[in-house]
Amino acid sequence: MLRKRLFALLGLLVIASMVLAACGTPAPTEEQPPATEEATEVATEEATAEPTPEPTTRKGGWLDEIAYSSVTSDSAVTQIQAGAIDIYTRAVASDRVQEIKDAGLCYAQSYGGYYDILFNPAVFTDATKLNPFSNRKIREAMNWAIDRNYINQEIYGGGSLPKFTVLATQLVDYTNVIETARGLEAYYAYNLDRAKEVVDAEMPAMGAELVDGKWNFNGEPLVLAFLIRNDGDGTRLKIGDYFSDQLEKLGFTVDRQYRKSSEASPIWIGSDPKEGQWHLYTAGWLSSGLDRDEKESFQEMYLSSSAQGIPLFLENVSDPEFLKVGDDLANGNFTTLEERRAMIEKALPLSMQDALQVWIVDQQVYAPYQCNVEVTYDLGSGVEAAQMPPYNIRFKDQEGGQLKVGTNDLFTDPWNPVNGSNWVWDGFVQSATESGSLMADPYTGLYWPLRAESAEVTVQTGLPVGTNTDWVTLNTADTVTVPADAWVDWDAATQTFVPAGDGVTAKAKIVMTYPADLYEVTKWHDGSNLSAGDFVMRMIMAFDQAKEDSAIYDPDTVPNYEAFKSTFKGVKVVSTDPLVIETYTDNFYADAELIAFLGDWWPQYGYGEGSWAAIAMGNAAEAAGLTAYGTGKADTNAVEWTNFIGGPSLEALNTQLDALIAESTIPYAATMGEFVTADEAATRYANLKAWYEAHGHFWSATGPYFLDSVDLNAKTALVKNNPDFPDFSDRWAAWSNPPLADATMDGPAQVTIGEDTPFSLTVTTKAGDPYPSADIKQVKFLVYNDKGETIYVGEGEAGAGDGEFTLTIPADVELQAGAGKIEAAVVLYPAAIPAFASLEFVAVP
Amino acid sequence: MATETITATTGQAKREAFAHTTLGRVLRYSLVRLVTLGVTVVIGIYLTILIANMGGYVDTIMRNEIRDNTTQSILANPAFRSLTPEAREKLIQEKIALEEKRLGLDKPFISRSIKYLVNALTLNLGRAINMNSDSGSRQVRLILLERLPATLLLAGTADLILFFSSVFIALGLSRRYGSLLDKITIALSPTSSAPPWFYGIFLILIFAGILHVLPFGGLVDSPPPETSFGYGLSVLKHLILPASAIIISSFFLSVYNWRTFFLIYSSEDYVDMARAKGLPARDIERRYILRPTLPTIITNFALLVISLWTGFTITETVFLWPGLGRTLFQAIGLYDTPVIVGSTIVYAYMLGITVFLLDFVYALVDPRVKVGGGNQQ
Repeated sequence: MLRKRLFALLGLLVIASMVLAACGTPAPTEEQPPATEEATEVATEEATAEPTPEPTTRKGGWLDEIAYSSVTSDSAVTQIQAGAIDIYTRAVASDRVQEIKDAGLCYAQSYGGYYDILFNPAVFTDATKLNPFSNRKIREAMNWAIDRNYINQEIYGGGSLPKFTVLATQLVDYTNVIETARGLEAYYAYNLDRAKEVVDAEMPAMGAELVDGKWNFNGEPLVLAFLIRNDGDGTRLKIGDYFSDQLEKLGFTVDRQYRKSSEASPIWIGSDPKEGQWHLYTAGWLSSGLDRDEKESFQEMYLSSSAQGIPLFLENVSDPEFLKVGDDLANGNFTTLEERRAMIEKALPLSMQDALQVWIVDQQVYAPYQCNVEVTYDLGSGVEAAQMPPYNIRFKDQEGGQLKVGTNDLFTDPWNPVNGSNWVWDGFVQSATESGSLMADPYTGLYWPLRAESAEVTVQTGLPVGTNTDWVTLNTADTVTVPADAWVDWDAATQTFVPAGDGVTAKAKIVMTYPADLYEVTKWHDGSNLSAGDFVMRMIMAFDQAKEDSAIYDPDTVPNYEAFKSTFKGVKVVSTDPLVIETYTDNFYADAELIAFLGDWWPQYGYGEGSWAAIAMGNAAEAAGLTAYGTGKADTNAVEWTNFIGGPSLEALNTQLDALIAESTIPYAATMGEFVTADEAATRYANLKAWYEAHGHFWSATGPYFLDSVDLNAKTALVKNNPDFPDFSDRWAAWSNPPLADATMDGPAQVTIGEDTPFSLTVTTKAGDPYPSADIKQVKFLVYNDKGETIYVGEGEAGAGDGEFTLTIPADVELQAGAGKIEAAVVLYPAAIPAFASLEFVAVP
Repeated sequence: MATETITATTGQAKREAFAHTTLGRVLRYSLVRLVTLGVTVVIGIYLTILIANMGGYVDTIMRNEIRDNTTQSILANPAFRSLTPEAREKLIQEKIALEEKRLGLDKPFISRSIKYLVNALTLNLGRAINMNSDSGSRQVRLILLERLPATLLLAGTADLILFFSSVFIALGLSRRYGSLLDKITIALSPTSSAPPWFYGIFLILIFAGILHVLPFGGLVDSPPPETSFGYGLSVLKHLILPASAIIISSFFLSVYNWRTFFLIYSSEDYVDMARAKGLPARDIERRYILRPTLPTIITNFALLVISLWTGFTITETVFLWPGLGRTLFQAIGLYDTPVIVGSTIVYAYMLGITVFLLDFVYALVDPRVKVGGGNQQ
């Protein structure tokens, strides 16, 4: 008997120990750093305080090898701690930032998606059902019913940004209108009583009555159908529950309908809003990264003219003034940047009043890594989606070595440069193998020349365009005339370009000039030198697939082609050596550097780089009906989706390459024949063939690393340093760390009304050094009264030293006795994210 | 006329006589069994198609997801920012239409469901809707075949070790009924209430996270070793934790089950008689216990072998093991009917064939069993 009990007890103990262990976290090992926040901060500061490395003689990337593998995000932090990987480039949500800090890891912080409450604005067809959110004032009042700071702290671990306006918080357009944005944030700060006042005033007017603290309509409790997403990162579930509680405090009865995407979308997207199947929804939207131009956001996110075409937007009856300013912004109906700014300042408060969507949070996401790794990341889109990280990623104070990168997945779709995988994790591996004409600045969103030398941009007089850097020259002209012999279209039957003809004009012209030694120094990984033929092939491929007469016609490309053609006005190869290309377009941006990008014809096809020989091979396989670049055509014709790195495509491509070699084919000879010789063709094909035989794939590009091998089944990839890359490894070293700033304010705790009151502001780098005043674009400050209303907006005056400013509240500011606050925003040139500082004071007569 | 009648009667008699021969009985039984299994497979597959598509409602889900995804991707793409709102909306609508056509949503579900069924029954597995094989192909055949080796390696290793070790240890325990080892086994059998992935998480924490002696997951090191031998060793290293998780999760209950099963047979009269006759214990085990239990053992083994096809969905996911279980899991999440049906039809055919063949195997290993003799007295 005793034995039986003993064994029963033993069994129970085993189970209990497993359950308890499952609830705990693994103990840190001795060699791991102490899991404290202080340790993390020290490590992070050290990471940013490192001096710029000494000049190097090394070419290509800093590392010898980068090994990529697929890792679950749940185990990413543990795997970095254990040394299994060095960095997890697929960022995790901000609710895990504490876990990263506790593990003593460094991290790259960037913007994720953004979440909000989306309301059904329709008046329901069934008159017995009331939709309170068809009332704009009630929607607006919901701004006061949401404590965004609470949500950020409790749900997002304090690591995200409370979001009030449609503009991405703290990014370029937000910073441009920061006084308006901050003023609105103060005005719409959490105030449930104020929300209740509005609801109590508006609901009876809509026919509802409050019975025992609950709103009733037609004698029945008014039940709000709330679609709450329970999938994804799980935070929308918590937001939904929080807001349901708030609505119940306002007297509503809430039917919390927990649904995943596939269950919710047929209702909020697919149903007629007037049917009343739903009242509100926990919406989420993709981030555009470091977007410098959000002027169309008002139309997209609120108005019935929204390009989204979803019924609920069509049902929104907006204020006519808001409708006009939103449409004008989206259509670019302004002539100066000041006018554009004024229109955004006008649209912002109107959008808050419209409140079709009440914004909650701009998610920040975090990519963790070992603190002995140095990685450049885009402030908007993080590590994976940025161009520069592979150029700068390295072990600190070390050249060479093998870096182990973990990411969410690999090879999700086939790789081909024309229309292959566009998954961000595949793109990250590809970006290490690629170069280009231009390099995207990860901190400003502008472009710098990579292989290009300079650009000259000419825009029509009156267009609101400015320039920020000196490699782009900006001109204006009353008329930008397209040369008659510029190529404007493609005749797929004759395989020749169609000239623009006389009398064609454009809004902008870009002249992109490349250095004289471009072809000598730039080599494809298979050993071939870059040539003008690569650029011309890129131009041909911009048209050919969308032409019915083409052997590679793909109807799926037509919509994108039509969008391109709607603004494209012509291209002309002015000179092949040195290479000079003119591009004409009706497309323009506020920054000349972004316009210059429109004149980039580098053989980067959107899904990867490809030499003209590799594209000729892919085209031949598609023309032969063996493969197709795009998934749609591949499915329709039941052929393989072209894959340059594996699968049945390889055999088809190799067969076509053999045929090209045998026939010394110059593709599109009627046009390419002018730029490619038979000798070059023979060399190109032979090099590509040799590359395939050595590496087992056709992914040959021009970047600092080359793709050495892939294991598609195990989902691993290995890239190795390209010693033939033209640039030294430290070319982009100045971008190693984000040039972000910290600001601290000092001043009197008591302000005397009617007297000038100065406050001092100190701006430093993240390492604590004074921030160069020349790199500070502007210091704005706002003064708030005790109600949180903005009563004064001023500009700081630069002091004698770097990063020193004085902010003076003038004597004539209408301060009222009581609490007040002064807040400063420091706008920087080298980084799109400003620094903030604030100080509270007491105003006394 | 009379001659014809006599001939017909004779023919009928011959047929009846043939029907009562062993061969006739077996053929008739086989035919009926095959038809029954065939109808079952057809019904099962069509039900799978209906369930996987929620009776056609998945079309509605997919249409709205296409609209949502297409709209968001175009609005978030800076390349389209400079288009006029009208041009952007036109682009969105055209892309939605193309995607719906690609996925076959321009055709009614009922016609697609029949096509899925016919393709499945003829083993024309066709093309996936959204999924690719690891090498990037849309062919369902390749999607399944490329994942099969990894699943066979994991599930085969784990299940075979589990099966044979359980049977032989159970046989030994049945001889030591009431011993300390027997009691420990009984006491630990509730540990099998936890699934393999549950143990997998512990094993990862201990051996990868803390001791750093085994990998967290995956099939092979990154980068993979360049030699075949090194690659093989690396795969084996990655196999240890997931296989151990599967074995640990079922080991004690499996031993307990077999031990109980053998105990029942050990207490049969003819076993007692053999013991009384003084036969050696090994002979008793082999001839008096194991042999009559062979049909059950073989059935279990056969079903185990075909179950390898389905893999271990969550365990493979926890260990990032590129097997069929994960593939099926992904296919369900993506509503990729051809992959779901492809996987199901292969399993259904294997199950049908196994069930069919087992009847014959029973007859071979157990003289008491006659194929098709169930109605004979």
